[in-house]
Amino acid sequence: MSDLPTTPTVSASGLTLRYGGTAALDDVSVRLGEGVTGLLGPNGAGKTTLLRVLATAVPPDKGAFTVLGNDPGTTAGRQEVRRTLGYLPQAPGFHPDFSAFEFVDYVAILKELTDRAARHGEVRRVLDAVALSDVRGKRIKKLSGGMRQRVALAAALVGDPGFLVLDEPTVGLDPEQRMRFRELIARAGEGRTVLLSTHQTEDVAMLCHRVIVMVRGRVRFEGTPAELTARAAGRVWSSTERDPGAWAGWRTGTGSFRNVGEPPAGAELVEPTLEDGYLLTLDGESSEVAAA
Amino acid sequence: MSTVLETPARAVEPAHPARPWAAVFALARFEARELRMTVSFVGIAALYIAWIVWQSTRSEGDYPVLQDVDRATQSMPLLMGLAVMLGVNRAVLRSHRCDTDRHFDVLVVEPWRRTVAHVLSVVPAVLFTAVCVLVQFTWAALKPGAVGNGSPAELAVGPLTVLLFGVVGVLLARLFRSVFAAPVILVLLLFGMLFVAPSSGSNWTSWLGPVVTESGSSPFPSDLLGRPAGWHVLYLVGLVLLAALVAVLLSGGRTTVVKVAVAGSLALTLVGAVGQSSGTPAGSTPARDRATNAPEKVQSCLKRGGSTYCAFPEWTGRTADWAEVVDRVQNLAGGSAGGERLTVRQRIDATYGLETDTLISPSTTPGQVTVGTDWGGNRVPEFAAAVASVLVAGNEKAGSTVCDARMVTIMWLALGGESDPMTALRNVRLDDSVSGSAIVLSPTESMSMSAEQTRIVVDLLKKPRYSVAGKVKAKWTELTSPKTSTARVAELLGVPAADKSAAKAEADGDSCQE
Repeated sequence: MSDLPTTPTVSASGLTLRYGGTAALDDVSVRLGEGVTGLLGPNGAGKTTLLRVLATAVPPDKGAFTVLGNDPGTTAGRQEVRRTLGYLPQAPGFHPDFSAFEFVDYVAILKELTDRAARHGEVRRVLDAVALSDVRGKRIKKLSGGMRQRVALAAALVGDPGFLVLDEPTVGLDPEQRMRFRELIARAGEGRTVLLSTHQTEDVAMLCHRVIVMVRGRVRFEGTPAELTARAAGRVWSSTERDPGAWAGWRTGTGSFRNVGEPPAGAELVEPTLEDGYLLTLDGESSEVAAA
Repeated sequence: MSTVLETPARAVEPAHPARPWAAVFALARFEARELRMTVSFVGIAALYIAWIVWQSTRSEGDYPVLQDVDRATQSMPLLMGLAVMLGVNRAVLRSHRCDTDRHFDVLVVEPWRRTVAHVLSVVPAVLFTAVCVLVQFTWAALKPGAVGNGSPAELAVGPLTVLLFGVVGVLLARLFRSVFAAPVILVLLLFGMLFVAPSSGSNWTSWLGPVVTESGSSPFPSDLLGRPAGWHVLYLVGLVLLAALVAVLLSGGRTTVVKVAVAGSLALTLVGAVGQSSGTPAGSTPARDRATNAPEKVQSCLKRGGSTYCAFPEWTGRTADWAEVVDRVQNLAGGSAGGERLTVRQRIDATYGLETDTLISPSTTPGQVTVGTDWGGNRVPEFAAAVASVLVAGNEKAGSTVCDARMVTIMWLALGGESDPMTALRNVRLDDSVSGSAIVLSPTESMSMSAEQTRIVVDLLKKPRYSVAGKVKAKWTELTSPKTSTARVAELLGVPAADKSAAKAEADGDSCQE
């Protein structure tokens, strides 16, 4: 694991959280610095739980973490963490009868932006940033799914938080909206720390300077996207039939099969992608991968 | 398609100092605006304003008694409170309904501060109610002929009711996370108020509700009311604080200060509840007895013309209106009645408090006329009828038992000087009729008019006043004799005789037997 941030925004060690008998987080230690960090993992890996812990929504059973030097274990520290936090939860809720402006304004108030003129200026700024200034007076119930997601991002960005937590922000978006969102997230990552939970390896490849892979509540990989991709070097090959020895294999658009696993001798190796590295890192832990 | 980001993604000044209470006030302003924009609030507020205008214009010509007007301001705020309660309850539950709790719970303003903001969001509605109450009261106070004194405690009940309902709306949202909880509990509370704590004020349980309306047949001097309005305000303030602080506790504000404040507000509520349930104040009962049985001990008397007018201190300004009526009636009377020195005395029956509707017994003192504490509207011809009955019969008791033809003279004296005598006749009769037999109202016991007497009076009222007045004065002795028949009175006053069947019916009995 290389390229760890020397002065991390977020530093967590030994985070453990159990729901009944299940360990949602099991001794998780991460350090996050400036830029976008991708958080990958199959369903139930503990991504959302980690995000909720770091967002101070739930306290860990064990372990500790700091955000910009503030310890959320104390009431005052937790408040300080929240002052520096922007959070976009998974499938965020909205107040449908509010306009986009009103909703973001409401969130801005809850972030202690109290000067009315300055707050309204800030709300306009973030709505501009997510390209919603034209519809800021429109009621949220009349906005499309992609627009609503951008309202949620604007709500996360308002107040210019130093630490931005985004939980699967591109779920349900069409390709064009996803591309637009990537652009917004990339811009948001300039000068601040962004932790992006996603199932989309493409998002990570395009946006993130670091990536964390979680499986069963534990960190299985932490490094750069290139390092994750490199894990698949020499382990991806092409064949005319599905290789039964491959851990995963699928027919590509050209008609040939792309196999991931331990290649047989003489196999036609191909350039690995981040997704290949991710699949190999899971090592059969995901039912979805097994189904593939 | 790509997004062009023309504005910088980061603000120039990212850091801001901690301002938790400023955020609470900002949130309260936001929520107050949302509350003001709800359909129910706008509808009820419009209805409230329309009601005040209607009330004030409807009672044009009445003479307000301010110690009653202050209580009359308390009913509409109940409706306002219901709108506020349901509105604020929905606002508190909004985050739960819309699933924004997950997001908002990690924002800086904690849930308990958001609860405080929701409580504060009710304040503009409370201020609106206070303005409405003051407008309603001031409008009445500025009317010519307004008497008495309003109580600040009674005036505070309306706004406090709205505040209490709003705070209860917040509390219910923190107790039950369903929007149906508040309406259901509201219905249960209304039933409770109907069956357990009626708002009539007759027992201590009625004072557990926010508004206690007590109204009898006529207003009391303010020192006889005996309402524990001050205690009730203390009780309401305690309840408001208690509900608000429990809501704060439930939403996470479990600090020692809040717990101590909950205990303090509970104590305040109990003190208020005990104070208001102690019944009629000790000094009120003898004062009420005195005002009922020996009003001369507490009244001041003024001489106007030849007559004396005795009123409770708060009503002395109204003696000029009474004197005007007495003069008008006496001007039409003949014999010595035109110059008789009457004593007009204000009388009430306060023995059993505000809610009694006891009839005041007619006075047997010669030349004494009773006047009530109400004035304006129908009370004016009723008083005129009482004055006329005393001038004709000698005293109120005798006047109330007149069943013979003297009723014609009494009614013409009472109404002949009115600018619109037919309307006055309709108003003074219990059934609002101008034909047939009817009960005639007066400040004490009612009188009766037969159908034939009514026909003659109506006929007289249609004639020029001066022509009838001349005949009345000229034939005064015969007209005021109990032996004179109705037919003879008609003849004396120049009214055509009735048909034979009516005349026979009249001869068979008097007006009291019809």
